[in-house]
Amino acid sequence: MDSNYKLTLKIKRYNPDTKESWVQDYVLEVGRILRFTDLFRKINNELDASLAWNSSCEHAQCGTCAVKVNGKPLLACELLVENAVNQFHTTIFHIEPITIAPVVRDLIVDLEKAYERVNEAKPYIIEPAKNPSQGNDYQIFPRNLERYVDATRCINCFCCATVCISSHKGFLGPNAVMASIVRLMDPRETARKERLDTLYSEKGIYRCHTSKACSFVCPKEIDVAHFIALAKEGRFKSKDSR
Amino acid sequence: MTSKFKISSTIHCDVLIVGAGGAGLRCAAEILEKRPGTNIVAVTKVAHPQKSHTQTAQGGMAAVDPQDPVDKPIYHMFDTWKGSDCSADQNIIRKIVESGWEQTVWMENHGMHLSRDENGRVSKRTFGGHTLNFGETSAFRCVFEADRTGKGIMDNVWGEALKGGTSFINQAIATELVFKGDNCVGAIIFRQKDGEFVAVLAKATVLATGGNGQVFKVTTNCRQNTGDGLAITIQAGLPVMDPEAIQFHPTGIVGPGILASETLRSVGGILRNKDLEPFMERYAPKMKELAPRDLVARAIETEIREGRGILNPDHDIEHVWIDLRHLSDYIHDVQIPEVSSFFRRFVNLDPKKDLCPVRPSNHYQMGGIPTNEFGEVQKSNDELIHGLFAVGECAAASFHGFNRLGTNSILELITMGKVAGEKGVASLGNERPELPKNAGDMTFSLFSKFMEQKGRDNPGQIREEMRMLMTEKVGVFRTEDGIGLAIEVLEELKERAGEATLSSKSLSMNQELIQRWELHNLLSVSTFIAHGALNRRESRGGHFREDFPERKDQFNYHTLAFMTEPGQVELGQRPIDMSIYEERQEHYEKFGMIERKY
Repeated sequence: MDSNYKLTLKIKRYNPDTKESWVQDYVLEVGRILRFTDLFRKINNELDASLAWNSSCEHAQCGTCAVKVNGKPLLACELLVENAVNQFHTTIFHIEPITIAPVVRDLIVDLEKAYERVNEAKPYIIEPAKNPSQGNDYQIFPRNLERYVDATRCINCFCCATVCISSHKGFLGPNAVMASIVRLMDPRETARKERLDTLYSEKGIYRCHTSKACSFVCPKEIDVAHFIALAKEGRFKSKDSR
Repeated sequence: MTSKFKISSTIHCDVLIVGAGGAGLRCAAEILEKRPGTNIVAVTKVAHPQKSHTQTAQGGMAAVDPQDPVDKPIYHMFDTWKGSDCSADQNIIRKIVESGWEQTVWMENHGMHLSRDENGRVSKRTFGGHTLNFGETSAFRCVFEADRTGKGIMDNVWGEALKGGTSFINQAIATELVFKGDNCVGAIIFRQKDGEFVAVLAKATVLATGGNGQVFKVTTNCRQNTGDGLAITIQAGLPVMDPEAIQFHPTGIVGPGILASETLRSVGGILRNKDLEPFMERYAPKMKELAPRDLVARAIETEIREGRGILNPDHDIEHVWIDLRHLSDYIHDVQIPEVSSFFRRFVNLDPKKDLCPVRPSNHYQMGGIPTNEFGEVQKSNDELIHGLFAVGECAAASFHGFNRLGTNSILELITMGKVAGEKGVASLGNERPELPKNAGDMTFSLFSKFMEQKGRDNPGQIREEMRMLMTEKVGVFRTEDGIGLAIEVLEELKERAGEATLSSKSLSMNQELIQRWELHNLLSVSTFIAHGALNRRESRGGHFREDFPERKDQFNYHTLAFMTEPGQVELGQRPIDMSIYEERQEHYEKFGMIERKY
């Protein structure tokens, strides 16, 4: 139960002051259910206080700690040592920042830049529908909510956008278009034309090559590709398609 | 003090919001709704507002639906008053409870994806401490978005603030409040990404900086919750109210301290000790697992102290079990999917088959920057600081007194965010504040020290020692000797921190520098917590003194703590508002200094 692992973390570093970039090795003895964020903290406290990494909630609910581990984007806060060793069949881990925005330092990227795409998709109700029972909640039956509620669980960690083969080439990205699709399926939104115009624009869903990598890597296990497929097949064009 | 630091630019705006979580952005949304086009600057310490601590709230929000045939606001007010151990303010209780449903409808109408019942209406569930008819039976009063209610709120208020044109400064900290006489005119902001100090001058400044959970070793709080807002308030010579009122959530997941929500107990989870005995029957025969948080936390700590806990070999921490094995797949998969998955994700256990390890984890600060019912910051009991507001967990109006009921925090933060927004809009003058000459001096002096220090100590190690100290001596159980010792050791740690060296002197995205600043804040806030706890020789809500286990009438007041000079804490009092009791309307007798038994 209390077996320890000896790991080598090969972490990609970047110093904005000198513009230097290099890979630094850290060798650690660690317990089986420590998480990778715990390992970064251990490095800071015991080996190298200068290693910069980002996190906030550290329980997979905010998406700040997304990094690439052996090429796969994931949340460092929920990767347990034991699972990492089993999943990647190795004790050597290459850790790099996600590739969706400029690196600020070491593992920290400029999420504000990444979010510009989400902002373009307008992650709110643009034009609210008239509420039949004014002063009360809208009536939304569970069977309708269930059609899109999974997409509302997205935390914008940008893991999907990092693996997407199109998001580096002008595509808004899987999470951003999904934010708009949620509101197309939400009966409280009326700005359907504006949303469809964005979805079917140059930056829109036809950039998607349906690799489904987004669904494969999503830490929240959302079938992102399913929602994009609904839009691609024209599900939201007619008025009663909600 | 001369230094290499300078204010690189000055930004003028109408309203500066420090802390872009649920409270801060609900305030922004209110202002933008009432006065479209208001120039709001919102600063957040995290990488993006969506990464705020509000995002992690799970269970839900308490709100009495006026169409509910059995529930009434007076019951919710009673539960909150009783839960607070008779130390919340009744004017605030009334104000917040009465606006609960309006707030729910606002959130829903603006796009929050609240869970629905079969009729398509917002669904409700029970939660610890919430009752009908003054404690008779559990109330269905908690609206929720599955088990990610906070995320729903955060998405919603961020969306609204964005839609209204708020300017965000992400990954930035407020290091100093700027005053002109007794008026607050903004703050000095340090932008971590480019390492620049900027002055943001505003007609109104709103502090919404969140809690201080990182004071303790095991906490449900985000990494950034280091009491920064309290620390800059203390630094400005302003009071902090009830710093000793800290809540420990009974069920943090062993290891990371992640919250295993009350929902687990409200859907039928059972707490068991190492003999598998369902021990809550001994501590709260009627409410059992649904008794208020502090009672459950002490019950678990007692089980552990009396040798009925279980040691986790990996984390070397003792815990008890929560048993969810008897619950249906529907409950696991639909009602508690995210919380239930935490055990799989973070300790590699399957809650459908395995007992899951939990222990008390620091959760919430009930106290904070004292405000009136509009969120306006008080300098003393009858003086306000003009232009300064505080809302959310960093503030205390006080709705929670010495113990907060589950689902009352989100209600409080969005209501007070809204109220402060309304008040802020009404009070915006036309005068554009100028940058005072001495603005930034305090910050530069502090940061110069951090940069110039030369010694062997590591700030990370000092922080870990402080967290262990506070957990052991000023945690769930407190004593005169333990707290006294903690105060002494905190002073030693401050000295050692003064000699800790930073390995990198860069200003841009220097996480070590930020952590050094956080350590400064944590030590300052810890000192306030310890002094408050030492002075309060009684037990009340989350504050439990083993040497004084009963509540005492002589302490029927809020603590006001000030820093008169470095390291010196002076204590004052603010009376508890008992307006519901004093008005002698129907049921007023329930709002006296009643016994808190469940």
